[in-house]
Amino acid sequence: MTLASLTKPWAPMSYGFLDASAKRELRRKMVKAVCVPGCQMPYASREVPMARGWGTGGLQVSLTLINPQTCVKVIDQGADDSVNAASIRRFLSRVSGAPVTLDTLQADLIQSRHRIPEEILREDQVLVLQVPNPEPLRSVQPNMSIARQMHGDADYGRMWLQLYEQIVRSGRVMQGASYPSMVNGRHVMTPSPIPRWDVPKLHMAKHLTILSAGREKRIFAVPPYCRVEPLVFDDVPYRVEDHAGLTCSRSGAKGFFMNEVPQDDGTSAFELSDSEYGVKSIRRAEGDPVDLGDTWYTNGELTK
Amino acid sequence: MAYVATRGGERAIEQSERLFRAELGQIDAARVAEVKQALPYLVDRVMGEASLYDEDLAALALAQTGGELYEAVLVLRAWRTTQPRLTVAAPIEQDDLFTHRRISAAFKDIPGGQVLGPTLDYSHRVLATDVLTGTPYDPPAVEPAADPAPAHQPSVSAWQAANDLVDLPKPDAATGEAIPDLTREPLLFPSKRAHTLQSLARAETGGVLALGYAAMRGYGQAHPTVNELRLAEAEIVVKHPNGTEFSAGRVKVSQAEVVSKKGERLGLGFAATLGWNEVKCISAATLDLNSKGAPKGSPTEEEFFLYHTEGVEASGFCIHFKLPHYVTFQSSLDAMRDAKATRAAEQEPAE
Amino acid sequence: MLTTPIPDAAETRSNATFDAILWALSRPGLPRNLPEPGEAALIEALLDRECAAYAGDPLLIPVLAQSGARLVDLSEADHVFFGRLLDAEYLRACRVGSDLYPDDGATLVIRARIGQGATVRLTGPGVNGVVELQLDGLPAGFWQERARLIRYPMGFDLLFLDGDRLIGLPRSTKVEVL
Repeated sequence: MTLASLTKPWAPMSYGFLDASAKRELRRKMVKAVCVPGCQMPYASREVPMARGWGTGGLQVSLTLINPQTCVKVIDQGADDSVNAASIRRFLSRVSGAPVTLDTLQADLIQSRHRIPEEILREDQVLVLQVPNPEPLRSVQPNMSIARQMHGDADYGRMWLQLYEQIVRSGRVMQGASYPSMVNGRHVMTPSPIPRWDVPKLHMAKHLTILSAGREKRIFAVPPYCRVEPLVFDDVPYRVEDHAGLTCSRSGAKGFFMNEVPQDDGTSAFELSDSEYGVKSIRRAEGDPVDLGDTWYTNGELTK
Repeated sequence: MAYVATRGGERAIEQSERLFRAELGQIDAARVAEVKQALPYLVDRVMGEASLYDEDLAALALAQTGGELYEAVLVLRAWRTTQPRLTVAAPIEQDDLFTHRRISAAFKDIPGGQVLGPTLDYSHRVLATDVLTGTPYDPPAVEPAADPAPAHQPSVSAWQAANDLVDLPKPDAATGEAIPDLTREPLLFPSKRAHTLQSLARAETGGVLALGYAAMRGYGQAHPTVNELRLAEAEIVVKHPNGTEFSAGRVKVSQAEVVSKKGERLGLGFAATLGWNEVKCISAATLDLNSKGAPKGSPTEEEFFLYHTEGVEASGFCIHFKLPHYVTFQSSLDAMRDAKATRAAEQEPAE
Repeated sequence: MLTTPIPDAAETRSNATFDAILWALSRPGLPRNLPEPGEAALIEALLDRECAAYAGDPLLIPVLAQSGARLVDLSEADHVFFGRLLDAEYLRACRVGSDLYPDDGATLVIRARIGQGATVRLTGPGVNGVVELQLDGLPAGFWQERARLIRYPMGFDLLFLDGDRLIGLPRSTKVEVL
């Protein structure tokens, strides 16, 4: 045996940046994440050429799944043109040779920060969500060891208490995004900070969702056809953001999650948060033959 | 089309990077060599935090990031993580260290002697402004000692153990691949001893100092005495597949042992890093000394200080707040406005 | 700055194999094709020197050794390659993890014939309503033993291998013997 036989020929970079052993560790953890939906699985989380907190968890999953035929879409806040989305898309394509797209319908793999696209995802698509804080219990228990024990015991009493206190104080649950949700009736997860509007899209979805926190080194998953139920009290129903009646000032589309854009006159204008859906809506209005997929919401009402 | 074309974002990020790089100008081998020669202690700090010992690569990382330390450590770690792990070197014993500097505050003199070695400790910190007005500073020649200190020194704690003052940690039986590796597996708590020491070795110097200092000031349970501080060089001994052991070279290492009275015995805290990083070693050893039995959530609790001194993660999370957060913000606004409107509606009939 | 790397044969194979594994475990009971038949592709995609493996079939020992995985007793293995499983009692020794760390539960690979033999009915995450699965070559009492040992989220996850066809059965799947 020689030293050379222990390694492989030198290359400036592995395919997809991550080396084979990093990918195998991620694969093993993804397997466990899918098998125990919503349960946070610890993983080594290698450094990648991007700052922690900038999507390194999602990036490691995408880099493991990607091959030269994978069509990739990357969004941040719903937008493909956000600078960090552009940066991640460019990196993914550069280290894998994979084609990129802005169209949700064309994508095999969608890496996203803070949004799920408005068009319904199919069985053959995988959604990778970047997660800053994977721990739904963080606000009631910052210590990760204690929080893990609470998950182990399915001890979510303090979580419920916090929601109850909000209702007592403010008349409603004040949680904005990352609404704590029960997965497969056992593990409470934070659905990354997607808005409440997007949480029902995870429930009994056709696609697989993988959520990955690079900095905090935790990965979890929501398989297709899996129950994802926001924590609510029987008499206080779950409420998504009050966007059903809003109209996009650019595309005219109505009944989707919107960005609020403050105006000089003190009022607000609204525009579609899912930027490519907005672009496609405009192009269709202009007479272009554009494929607009079925959407999770129709006129602001959940359709499925 | 009313939406910003995607190319806008891509062009902006490309040009912003160009702006940064244009300021730094051409980076060539000479600049890297200059950084390596001129700033060895900075190179050591970067090698320690990146847990990669290569002075040239560390100097290159500093050169290409313009000395933006967090970026330098990140770029080096990102390179490191893709490298194959060929072998695990033999453990390094204190007695085998080729020692440059070794001091103990616990005793006036120690077996093997106090060796000051290179330090600014007793220098007067006066800025050499003459250099800027054309008078170069030439360091005075070092006068060799008539009776040079031995290169290899016993450890102070070994003497204390022999005198029944301290319980030395049990030797760790794990060898080779069985040694837990923080860069290949997640940090979980209670932490494996190897993970704790690796995490401290990689920790961000300023962060370790801040929390270590908090412990020293009184937020810890134990007041440290520097039992032994060492700056040294260590042989990296590896085994060739044919069975021969050989030295692959020497690396600079630093280590600190701090002690404090715990009942009738001394408690021991330890830290070691690649490169010469005195402040970090003493601070890290102080945190280690204080961690046993520390209350949950206190700055001297292992989970607290290991998580919060991880510089790549901490700095990354800090700068991530520059990213747009308007979706989550919108979601919060919605809940706030609704709560406010509901309250106003409730109060109306009473008026 | 850098040229785009090209995947080599091993990377391409591992990528496709894992795609099948992930798909199969996300859709319990529905078969998926592997790029090539047998355990070797699974081992290549998942295992290395950080793993502890058990080989029920001695022919798999060299393949596992090549991966760098340590060969250990059944009770210590994170990946178990039974080959054909002759006795359901072997399941009792397999790791199920803990409530704190369910990921310590093992992944078991068992050879079986898909589309023959007794039918079971699957429900749970990944199953759209109900899926019926026919598997042959499993020992008597297999499903009863599995049900007895899995205390969700503790449990083990199953991959059934029939040539180049793969079926996944995570611990979250409820199995009803018909």
